[in-house]
Amino acid sequence: MMDERELRSRFAQLREADQESAPGFAQTYRHARERRSRRTTLLLRPLVLSAAAVIAVAAIGLAYARSLSPSAATPEIATWRAPTDVLLRTPGSELLGEMPALGTSVLDTMIPKPSNRGT
Amino acid sequence: MDEVELKRQLERAHADCFGWAMACCGRDRDDAEEVLQTVYLTVLDGRARYDGRSTFRTWLFGVIRRTAASERRKAWLRGLLLKREADGMKPEAPASPDAELDRDSRRDSLRHALAHLATRQREVLQLVFYHDLTVDEAATVMGVGVGSARTHYARGKARLAVLLDDMKDFDDDGRERAS
Repeated sequence: MMDERELRSRFAQLREADQESAPGFAQTYRHARERRSRRTTLLLRPLVLSAAAVIAVAAIGLAYARSLSPSAATPEIATWRAPTDVLLRTPGSELLGEMPALGTSVLDTMIPKPSNRGT
Repeated sequence: MDEVELKRQLERAHADCFGWAMACCGRDRDDAEEVLQTVYLTVLDGRARYDGRSTFRTWLFGVIRRTAASERRKAWLRGLLLKREADGMKPEAPASPDAELDRDSRRDSLRHALAHLATRQREVLQLVFYHDLTVDEAATVMGVGVGSARTHYARGKARLAVLLDDMKDFDDDGRERAS
């Protein structure tokens, strides 16, 4: 049966072999830091992409909502005239727009007076 | 403990940590390096804090053990998701042809014998014989009671001795040596 001293000796050999092949601390530490920066980039990338997507969707939504809002269209509607409005003008409509006066004739306004009839 | 001091302590324990990481990763060098990198990041980022209840090395060995177990679980889950056969615990895997060829060397026969031990037995023997920890310290690293660690130690040592004795009786081709 193998004794404890023999076991320790075998484990010591294994330890020596491992220590010979062990990577240096600086190398392991550098790789660890590189992994951390890679992981950070990988974690940040979807966050940045999703934030950009949210901003783009919000901008498009805002622009669409603004195009539908009544505030922009109201002034145009207030000044808008239908092309057929001219058909509503009737002859003599200007007579209806002012108060008739006593002692004058409607014709006075319709027929221009001759400037010097006597001469 | 500030970062400079932590880094100094890690550097001092590095070679020992690598040996323990190898033991926790079924003696897979790449896995051991990856585990060690994760542990260093965990410690330096403050996600694992040394509270001074044990020696720094004992505490660090505990972190390495938990990280290796976590990495093993992740690898197993990845394998499961990819519908691949999980690697499982490498120490229990049959020895590769190369390992069989090297079996006659004392070092490799020890590796081979360790791979045939139960995980807890292998861990406690590695911590006591390889890292010169006491059984009490080994129990702290393994997260088990001292009594349990002592039982694993006694059974593991006896089993390891038997396995190594058996290996002595066989040559490289697995044939029994003439005595």
